[in-house]
Amino acid sequence: MSGINITELDKVYDSGTENVVAVEGLSVDIDHGEFLVLVGPSGCGKSTTLRCLAGLEDVTDGSIRFGDEEVTDRRASERDVAMVFQNYALYPHMTVRGNIGFGLKLSTKLSGDEIERKVESVAEMLGISELLDEKPKALSGGQQQRVALGRAIVREPSVFLMDEPLSNLDAKLRSEMRTELQELQTDLDVTTVYVTHDQTEAMAMGDRIAVMNGGVLQQVGSPEEVYRSPVNRFVADFIGSPSINLLTADVEGDTLSGPGKFAYELDDSDPVAGHDRVSVGVRPEDIKVVESGRNAADVTVVEPMGNENFLYMEIDGHELTARVDPTVRPAEGSRVAFDFDETALYLFDVETGDALKTKTDSVDSAVVGATEN
Amino acid sequence: MATSDETDERVGETYRRRARMRVRRTTRQIRRAARPAWDRVRFARQDLTAAVPTLPRVAYLFIAPFFVLFGLFLAFPVAYTLYLSFFEYQGVGEGSLFWIDLGPVYIEIPQIAQLSFVGAGNYLRLLGNDLFWQSMFNTSYILAIQVPLMIGLALALALALNASFMRFKGVFRTAIALPVSANLVAYSTVFLLLFNEQLGFLNYVLSGVGLGPVPWLTSEFWARNTIIAAVTWRWTGYNMIILLAGLQTIPQQLYEAAEIDGANRWEKFRYVTLPQLKPVLLFVVVLSTIGTFKLFAEPYVITGGGPTNATITIVQYIYRQAFVNFNLGYASALTVVFVAVVSVFSILQIKLGGED
Repeated sequence: MSGINITELDKVYDSGTENVVAVEGLSVDIDHGEFLVLVGPSGCGKSTTLRCLAGLEDVTDGSIRFGDEEVTDRRASERDVAMVFQNYALYPHMTVRGNIGFGLKLSTKLSGDEIERKVESVAEMLGISELLDEKPKALSGGQQQRVALGRAIVREPSVFLMDEPLSNLDAKLRSEMRTELQELQTDLDVTTVYVTHDQTEAMAMGDRIAVMNGGVLQQVGSPEEVYRSPVNRFVADFIGSPSINLLTADVEGDTLSGPGKFAYELDDSDPVAGHDRVSVGVRPEDIKVVESGRNAADVTVVEPMGNENFLYMEIDGHELTARVDPTVRPAEGSRVAFDFDETALYLFDVETGDALKTKTDSVDSAVVGATEN
Repeated sequence: MATSDETDERVGETYRRRARMRVRRTTRQIRRAARPAWDRVRFARQDLTAAVPTLPRVAYLFIAPFFVLFGLFLAFPVAYTLYLSFFEYQGVGEGSLFWIDLGPVYIEIPQIAQLSFVGAGNYLRLLGNDLFWQSMFNTSYILAIQVPLMIGLALALALALNASFMRFKGVFRTAIALPVSANLVAYSTVFLLLFNEQLGFLNYVLSGVGLGPVPWLTSEFWARNTIIAAVTWRWTGYNMIILLAGLQTIPQQLYEAAEIDGANRWEKFRYVTLPQLKPVLLFVVVLSTIGTFKLFAEPYVITGGGPTNATITIVQYIYRQAFVNFNLGYASALTVVFVAVVSVFSILQIKLGGED
């Protein structure tokens, strides 16, 4: 039984002349068997956090506990973790058998035969039995990925750490491995921390998602939570594909007015009370093309996806994206009227980016939109 | 087929002409705009290229200098050494080897040397020669101790310089690699002075701490070690630089993976560093073996091959035969045998060390 508790984790790189803060005051509790995804743009500190968990980086301040054990100052080899690296980091001179068995050979007292049996059963589980005597360079990217996974699984660790393990695979293989990894993780019931910059991957895989930016944890929550109730503009913008549409609007009573004669009347103006300007956010799937309406935009590009169409529009130089029914296909260059429900509206403080109001519509449509792509 | 080829060619020609026109037009446009002097030079060169007519097969003329020089100074001497090893040298050549009379031009190639054919005589002679075997033994002895010692030292230094905690890396790297730039004779002379038995600094220091003077140059055992010390001093830094470059190409993630797999310092060295460094190590071993096989200047200056021929190396023996005794045929045979031995050694090392 091993969950993970991270308390007030700081990581500062001291380059002699200046200090670079990679992670600042990060606290998160991860339950046993949970699949937590750390997500954020590059340089947000997600990989550094993972490396601190692994013991590959010294922690500047704060503490890390695995279950009841304090591991902050322990070496990587003493933490009972297994890690999968982005470029797999397989030992090039060893066979697949050697690679998978290496950890057992070094850190356990198992006999050669026992190691052999374990390696073979893991190889069978991953479908790489026939590759056991190959060297890594003879394998395809997907096969190397499996060997790297095998090396992690065979150790039966208390924690799996994965650093963008799927980003070197092609799109098709990546989505296959995504499912397979999730099944594997559920079967093995091992606490997993998974780092990715790909919000789609994060949404698809995580039990919970931790969104990071600039070394600071923004929000931890289920995929639906971070999608529907982002704590700030950054999270709203980062999660969801295509990204949320954001406009800056002036508040006049209960009316929001933005660029290109954009105007929207609020039924409930409580969230904007005391604000002169707000950021207005609307998810692409919540924008509806209507016969006639108060707001209009120029269609620049239409991308037919088969099951839906993406409309790229402009409203006074500001881009607007809409996901609409495949039957809705206005001519490029035409002007269309659009509308959206107030329940689907997000509002953020212009300066701080903090959320003032998030989605309050029924869950169905939003969840489908969140996990589908 | 023929017609379609012709059509293709015509189409191709039209296309090329159009492309040329397009290029000219663009070039003019670019030229009209203000351009730095460097570009004007480039355009002038392009114009010149277009103006000069293309000569057929002119490329061979351009690559000829290499082949002429290579043939004259490398291929010919190698072939001639092999040829010479079956003859006895009797003096410089008289008369001409061959001549060409082209009317106004008369070319005569003189005979290189006066030779008398001895068949395998030179080879049989060296097999029965004690000094040949002595020099082979000396060279092998020095090799067997010096090469492992030097590479071990170079690897240790490279590992130390590659460690993350090490400071002033650049200074140490330069200081340790510096001896390789020392002039062979000059540094050998310095060693000769350092190891001098009566006046040398080393014996002065040793006697200072109560140790008797060591016969660095007059004892057979110590004389060989003096040579080993000199060669090691000069070449360790050079090999360290190569090994250091090799170490720096090992991906950091392999060490991290090994760390997580539970490897300690020694296991990381044994299972990550050594196998990853193997190609570079092999290169260094082969290079050092060949280098030490060719040992000449150090024993020539420091010990003169003595005492009692204890430090005469194979190359020194060849030198004596060729340029002191003028046994050019015999020296050539020695050279052929020497090259064969070195080649066999190198091939063995590569076969044993490079199965990947």
